[in-house]
Amino acid sequence: MDITKYKFTREHEWICLESNNVGKVGLTYYAQSHLGDIVFLDLPEPGGKVEQFGKLGEVESVKAVSDVLSPASGVIMESNQAAIDEPGLVNKDPYGDGWLVKLKLDNLAELDALMNKSDYDEFMRQCEESSEQE
Amino acid sequence: MICTVYQLGRIGYREAYYLQRQLLKQRASGCIGNTLLILEHPPTITIGKSGKLQNILVSQEQLQNSGISIVSTDRGGDVTYHGPGQLIGYPIIDLRDRGKNVRQYVHDIEEVIIRTLNDFGINSCRDRNHAGVWVKGEEIAAIGLRIKRWGTMHGFALNVNTDLEKFSLINPCGCSDIKATSCSRLLSREVLMEEVTTVLLAHFSEVFNFQMEIRASNLVGSLSC
Repeated sequence: MDITKYKFTREHEWICLESNNVGKVGLTYYAQSHLGDIVFLDLPEPGGKVEQFGKLGEVESVKAVSDVLSPASGVIMESNQAAIDEPGLVNKDPYGDGWLVKLKLDNLAELDALMNKSDYDEFMRQCEESSEQE
Repeated sequence: MICTVYQLGRIGYREAYYLQRQLLKQRASGCIGNTLLILEHPPTITIGKSGKLQNILVSQEQLQNSGISIVSTDRGGDVTYHGPGQLIGYPIIDLRDRGKNVRQYVHDIEEVIIRTLNDFGINSCRDRNHAGVWVKGEEIAAIGLRIKRWGTMHGFALNVNTDLEKFSLINPCGCSDIKATSCSRLLSREVLMEEVTTVLLAHFSEVFNFQMEIRASNLVGSLSC
C-alpha cells in the first residue's frame, strides 16, 4: 500500500486508482475509529451507478446506520465480499483488506477535487482543533 | 445552540417515522435547527436494518391478536419492543457540529440516560459490546440510529414503566440472553413518564450543551420550507 497514491474526501472516504480508470474506495482510519465497531455493510451491486459525493452505501456500527458517500462518479465493478462477510475488516485494515468497492470512474478530472494525503492530514488537524475548542 | 423539544404523547411508529424524515430534510436544508421529539409508541415490534425475523419468537398472527404491530425500519440494531410507559427520544441534530463523530454521539445519548437514572437512585452503566444502558446486566434503555449525511434520526427508548412481559416475545437486540428492566421494576413503585422526562431534558441540555426550548406539540412540522 502506497498511501501517497490515495485521495481523500472531506467526509473521510478514500479512493486509490488501480489502473487507468478503476479505483478502490474505502473509509479512512479516522472514519472507522469514529464509527466504532462496524457490524454490517450495505454496498451496491456491480453495475450500479454512483455520483461523486452521492450515496454509495451504508455502514452500521454501535447501533447506528450511516451513509458512505462516493469519492467519484462511476459504475461499481465489484464490492468487497470479504468485508461484507466480516465487516470488522474495515476497522482492522481500512486502507487495505477493508476496502469497500471497486469503481470504474466516469471522469478522472473529478479526483482533482479531492485531497492528497498531506492535505488530508492538515484538514484532520484543523478538524481536531475545532472540536477541541468546542 | 438551541434545541426545540416537542412532546408528542402517544404516536404510531410510522407516523413518527415520517415526521422524522420530514424534520431531517428540513434540518439538512438549514430551515429548522436541532430538534428533539419526546413520545411513546403503542405496542410495536421493530426490526432494524440488519435485524433477523427469527428474533421475533411468536407468529405474526399471535402478535396481531395481541394488538402488536411489526415494522421493518432503517435504524441500526436488531429487534426491539416499543410500548406505553417507554420514554422515546428522537433527536434530529446535525453531527457536523459535533465532529461527525457517531461513536461520541452514542456515548452522549448513553450519558444523558445514565445521569437521568442516577437522579432516581438507579446506578446504570454502558456495555462495551452493546450500545444502550444497562442495570446489573439487564437492558433499561435501547439505542438505534440512522445517520443521513450527518443528520440524525431514530434515537433511544428508556423503559420507565413498560410492560416487561412483552420483551419475552423477542430476542432483544438479537440476543437470546438479554433481559429488559424498567425504572418501575427497579424502584418497586409506579414511576411517571412526566417526572423522568423533565429530568432527562435537563441532562440532555447539559450533555449536548443545548438550550432546550419546549414548543407546543401541534406546531411540529408546521414550518413549510
